[in-house]
Amino acid sequence: MNNRYSLRKEPLFDKPREFIKGIPIIVWLLFLVIIPFAFTIAMSFYSSKGLVIEKSFTLANYIKFFTEPIYPRILLKSLRLALSVAVIALGAAYPVAYMVSFKLKRGKNLLFMMCIIPLWVSYLVRIIAWRSILGNRGVLNTILMWIGIIKEPLTIFLYNRFAIAITLTYITIPFVFIPVYTSLEKIPKSILNAASDLGANEMRTFLNVVLPLSMPGLITGFIFAFVIALGDYIIPLQLGGTQGIMFGNLIWSQFGFSFNWPFGAALGLILLVISVTILGLTAKYGSTEGGFLSE
Amino acid sequence: MDSHEVAIELQNVTKVFGDVIAVKDFSVKIRKGEFFSLLGPSGCGKTTTLRMIAGLENPTEGRILLEGKDVTGVPAYRRNVNTVFQDYALFPHMNVKKNIYFPLKMKKISMAEAEPKIKSVLSLVNMGGFEYRLPQQLSGGQRQRIALARSLVNEPAALLLDEPLGALDFKLRVAMQKVLKDIQRNVGITFVYVTHDQTEAMTMSDRIAVMNNGVVHQIGSPEEIYNYPSSPFVASFIGDMNFLRGVLISREKRMGVVDLSGEKVFSEKCAEELRPGDEVLFCVRAEKVLLNRKRSGSKNVLKARVQRVVFRGNDYEITCLLKGQEIRAIVAAANWNSSLKEGADIVVEFKPEDIILYPISGEKEVIKYSVEAV
Amino acid sequence: MSRLSVEAGTEKRGTILKVYGFLIFVFLYIPLVVVIVFSFSPTKTIVGMSGVTLKWYKELARDAELLKALLHSVEIGVLAVVISLLFGTSGAFFITRVRFPGKGVLRAIILLPYILPGIIMGLTLLIFVRSLHIPLSMLTVLMGHVSFTTPIVLFQVSSRILRLGPTYKMAAMDLGATPVKAFIFVTLPMIRTALIGAALLAFTVSFDEIVISYFLTGTWMTLPVYLYGMLRFGLSPKVYAVSGFILALSLSLILLMTRYIGSSAEVVVPKKKLIKASR
Repeated sequence: MNNRYSLRKEPLFDKPREFIKGIPIIVWLLFLVIIPFAFTIAMSFYSSKGLVIEKSFTLANYIKFFTEPIYPRILLKSLRLALSVAVIALGAAYPVAYMVSFKLKRGKNLLFMMCIIPLWVSYLVRIIAWRSILGNRGVLNTILMWIGIIKEPLTIFLYNRFAIAITLTYITIPFVFIPVYTSLEKIPKSILNAASDLGANEMRTFLNVVLPLSMPGLITGFIFAFVIALGDYIIPLQLGGTQGIMFGNLIWSQFGFSFNWPFGAALGLILLVISVTILGLTAKYGSTEGGFLSE
Repeated sequence: MDSHEVAIELQNVTKVFGDVIAVKDFSVKIRKGEFFSLLGPSGCGKTTTLRMIAGLENPTEGRILLEGKDVTGVPAYRRNVNTVFQDYALFPHMNVKKNIYFPLKMKKISMAEAEPKIKSVLSLVNMGGFEYRLPQQLSGGQRQRIALARSLVNEPAALLLDEPLGALDFKLRVAMQKVLKDIQRNVGITFVYVTHDQTEAMTMSDRIAVMNNGVVHQIGSPEEIYNYPSSPFVASFIGDMNFLRGVLISREKRMGVVDLSGEKVFSEKCAEELRPGDEVLFCVRAEKVLLNRKRSGSKNVLKARVQRVVFRGNDYEITCLLKGQEIRAIVAAANWNSSLKEGADIVVEFKPEDIILYPISGEKEVIKYSVEAV
Repeated sequence: MSRLSVEAGTEKRGTILKVYGFLIFVFLYIPLVVVIVFSFSPTKTIVGMSGVTLKWYKELARDAELLKALLHSVEIGVLAVVISLLFGTSGAFFITRVRFPGKGVLRAIILLPYILPGIIMGLTLLIFVRSLHIPLSMLTVLMGHVSFTTPIVLFQVSSRILRLGPTYKMAAMDLGATPVKAFIFVTLPMIRTALIGAALLAFTVSFDEIVISYFLTGTWMTLPVYLYGMLRFGLSPKVYAVSGFILALSLSLILLMTRYIGSSAEVVVPKKKLIKASR
């Protein structure tokens, strides 16, 4: 119904008076996004000597990143981890989304809410939960000992990449679920009936109809999970131990102990470029709705 | 038309969106108390025209006058016309009474003063007693009537209706057509009515403007448009028209003689622009194609063969092959007889006043050809 | 009717799917359950539950520092919400109603502070404020929060505006309302529930926020920052109690929010009003 009134090619700009509405948001954009980023870009070209930041232009930070092998290695490690996390999260979330969307008659909304709620009820608490599960005296060890599989608590669960991975997966599953579920729900029932009518069983319907049509949601969810996993610093810090230096906490430490803000800025911008590039892919290949910000 | 009688006047109104001409050079004088329809297919510019009269859109060129005053450029909220939208646009957070009160509130009329007006307009649309209902609690037809009431309560100079019956099912539509027409007559208010349904326009209107692709093909009464369509588009848009091809043999004033695949046919409605030797578009309405009639002294009698007979309840649609061209005829069920069956050889007859001849133009868009009787 | 006509053979596959789905569900909720359970456990160690106690929750109530942090979280949540309602709502109208090129890019940039990893926004704002020699305080934390709550409000409200369509405003103006009056009497009431829902959502996100806050906090702490500090000393029952409290609060806020956001929300009319209206 709305389209009746918008099939037109109107002049490019509205009257200037209309733009008053935009002043607050542009001010917000300027002071909380654009100018801060400008400062950060500038910072990335400075250098730090001890506790003092030298404001002379230099490419040293970027050179340092690309030449000293440890840094790219950490980035690669984080990229690989993020990839695995995204894959596993997808493997967990997609079937659940499929189940809720296709296999449930009543209670769909309820189950959808139940998959979303973990998303909103505190990131930090969820991390605390995993620390308590995976630790030496944690739930997992306790159960295993109680069942009798092991005699002594295993230390392999915590303070390593496994812990980071499982916690990140846990965090990102709801982020994958939402876009996947939304795109599955958008598949019209009539198409499914048509496929079935034309002789396709469930598996073939899935492979030839559902999966391709849900691709945008799948890609969006995957990308969200990937970016979140890549940029996280608290989980590696809390659960990663000595093995757990990821790109996120590498950046973090520049603002903490190392006090090398210029280098930190450079690393942050590198992360920004990677994130924005990958997120940009959702605009092209993924679905732009189904975000947790639209109704 | 006397200027006191003119409710709405459009003078050379044109609207352009980017490089699309939505409305081209529309001029008309709409009388006070007239039921005037804008008729045409989707995208023809009828809704855009309506919006320009309402003030929700401004013409690129031309002027719009309301009751003699130039209102071009005056915003909608200062014009004395109201619109009934296709989706009614009843404010969901207000009950019926508050919805209807809204235009009065905008004029700073107190609720005390407004109450009697609200009551009277509700009874006009037969919805008395519904004051405290919310729009969500009403059916489609009821919402439509409240939207109508809301637009009427201010006693505007004219009411603009944008396909108001589009969302209703058939029986309800027909009923509402009558209601709308009655209200319009009783209140005496000018209606400008947009629709793509030609039956609706023909039934309700005093005059119709037929539009296509932004161009107004013809403005006239339903009879004029039906009997003297001024372009093939108008001819085809109203009713069921047959289009055949022929060559003009001779003409005198409005009378023309056509060579229709070897047979001579006489017409009383030949377009001015046609010259002997021109290819013509030979048009006759399906209901005017007479089959196997007893000789009535008509000049146009041709042989044909029945190809297909479709029973439609009220009537039969009979498709015939007439010298290599297909022609459809509609025969009332009561007049059908067994001589009209598939494969039968029959006699087809046309009255000269039912044959309209147009030039076949090279362009797709045929603009104006006057075939009105001189 | 479920969406696929299930034939005999697929029922088995359907069950496997349901079992898998159930397991994932359990996986999603067990950590939360663990936390809640431990918050009621009287033993100091994590192993071995022996009874239920509210001891730890009571200790929370006596912890002055904690209560101060809680207060700060509420303060900043409310402030961030108010500010982002102003910026976000006006921005929403700007984006949905005004014509200008490059809208897609603008929307993407506005969205960035919300979808980018928090560390990027955190370090960027940190560099910004420290370069201007602004000390880390409530103000800097507020800046951080407003950066991500504003997109939340903007996109929720613009989504509602788009869903309502331009017709209501047109109808109002057609009936004699100036653009300002149309906004006050028609548009605003119709987006009311979207505003409330967005406010609740923004508050919840702000209340929980640790990543950006941690960069921008000095001695003025919000609850998550305080909790994070507690973690330095290991997992204690108090940590679980705080977590349990946060879980309960966030959950109630989210459930409350669902009343206001969603396709049926704009026609949500509390039962009482409906009955009163039909009288």
